[in-house]
Amino acid sequence: MPVAAYLHLSIGQIQLSSADFYNALFNYNDSETGQLLVREFRFPRLVMAIVAGSSLAIAGMLMQTLFNNPLAGPYVLGINSGASLAVALGTLSGISFFSSNFGLIGLALIGALVFGFIVLGFSLFVRNSLSLLLVGIMIGSFTSAITSLLQTISSADSLKVFTIWGMGSLQQVELSQLGIITLFFIIGLFLSFFLIKPLNALVLGENASLLLGIPVKNLRVIIIIITALLAGLVTAFCGPIAFVGLAIPNLCKMLFKTQQHLVLLLGNILLGALFLISCDILVQGLEPFILVPINVITSIVGAPFVIFIILKRLA
Amino acid sequence: MIRFNKAQIGYQQPLLFIDQMELNAGHIYVLIGANGKGKTTLLKSINGLQDLVSGEIELDKKLTSTLNHRDLSNLVAFVSSKFDGIEHLKVYDYIALGRTPYTNLFGRLSAQDHVQVSRAIKTLGIDYLSDKLTTEISDGERQLCAIARALAQETPIITLDEPTAFLDYANRVKVLTMLKTLAFEHQKCIVLSSHDIDICLEMNLPVLYIDLTSNQLIQTNKTCKSTLLQNCFGI
Repeated sequence: MPVAAYLHLSIGQIQLSSADFYNALFNYNDSETGQLLVREFRFPRLVMAIVAGSSLAIAGMLMQTLFNNPLAGPYVLGINSGASLAVALGTLSGISFFSSNFGLIGLALIGALVFGFIVLGFSLFVRNSLSLLLVGIMIGSFTSAITSLLQTISSADSLKVFTIWGMGSLQQVELSQLGIITLFFIIGLFLSFFLIKPLNALVLGENASLLLGIPVKNLRVIIIIITALLAGLVTAFCGPIAFVGLAIPNLCKMLFKTQQHLVLLLGNILLGALFLISCDILVQGLEPFILVPINVITSIVGAPFVIFIILKRLA
Repeated sequence: MIRFNKAQIGYQQPLLFIDQMELNAGHIYVLIGANGKGKTTLLKSINGLQDLVSGEIELDKKLTSTLNHRDLSNLVAFVSSKFDGIEHLKVYDYIALGRTPYTNLFGRLSAQDHVQVSRAIKTLGIDYLSDKLTTEISDGERQLCAIARALAQETPIITLDEPTAFLDYANRVKVLTMLKTLAFEHQKCIVLSSHDIDICLEMNLPVLYIDLTSNQLIQTNKTCKSTLLQNCFGI
């Protein structure tokens, strides 16, 4: 992890010395280009990679245990597209508040929450896990279509804001935003630790957990709120990032071979961050030649892995 | 331990009527009835998963309607007819989930919890399974694990919905004998539904049967197979 973080910080078109890094954080001087680069670009980007990777992986783990479905995740079940739709509605409306930091994050959280509850609502009627996935995918397609429709009828200026956001990247985050991002992340993370016990019981199924004294109804709502918080936060600042929430929790189960959610939670935090840092190192490495959105890299790596999981289950 | 008072069991329409009945600790009761007569619904009602149409059930002198799931988890445990095993979940950890009502906010097992889990494992004689995965053992072994989990929950009442349905003859006898011993030695009140009429009668277990025509639940200690078949199934 520290190695990956170091690599992530040091890769880029301009070589920086370790003194630059140290000074940028503890002894900042804004006339030095090296320090400026670290403080304004590389450090926020690294923090964002850690926050986004961990958040999406935790959100995926929560949804997979809640729906008892290894193929569930914030992206597959339409939580991300809900956040996207809300952001699109807000930014394309041309109201300037919605283009600000708080506007964006607020919209994304509300969108994620609303769509989280829509999926939860469907899950109460659609008991079959495959059908629930299909419903989620349809919700996702439907919302994407609405989002596209909104784009065609909006003004050029607001379209630009939205398109840049929709590309999905870790480098749009500024130092000044890190505070609020970290705050939301820590809240989501903190709350997740209180879910360990109910999640462990939920592995037995909803009825069995109820009989062990777990308040399943409230639990469902709390899990959706935390998932929406984590996934919405990431979507707000990085745009949609696919497959992290789907692939990493499965990878954790394969590596740690346990249903103990304390281990899985820690594993997802670590591997989620590591995965996204690695993907972003790749993005940065390719930057001199082509500009690749992070979403493309996570999909190229994540999609084959998910197919592998499905095949392994059939075997 | 379990007391019924003019209870009407069912979803919206009553399926099954229990006027007055008391089931005691130290006994195992076999629930017999035709399909769709409300055996599972009765077990659900005892577990607080299904409200009564009318009337009341008392568990350990407390009305189920006044208890929440947290309270119920200290009174009654439930074993379903089939436990398919869960990926990456070890037998010991599975049985330890029976301690969920007693563990702290983060689900950490205390020394006392480990003692109870080990005791349950020893009682069921499945020490050799505890390090295995729940997915790599047989159906019969899994059913014993499920009973051990219910035992680890330390409830005075254990209910089982057709616990022997998917087992071979030898395992059926083994599970039922085990349950009979449990009820007696641990002073539990055990209620299980079953279609293994022959084995249950041979073991002299008290029977609760659902009368085919009146839909009444009737308790009987001495009955012969032909009367039971006549009353329950009309054959």
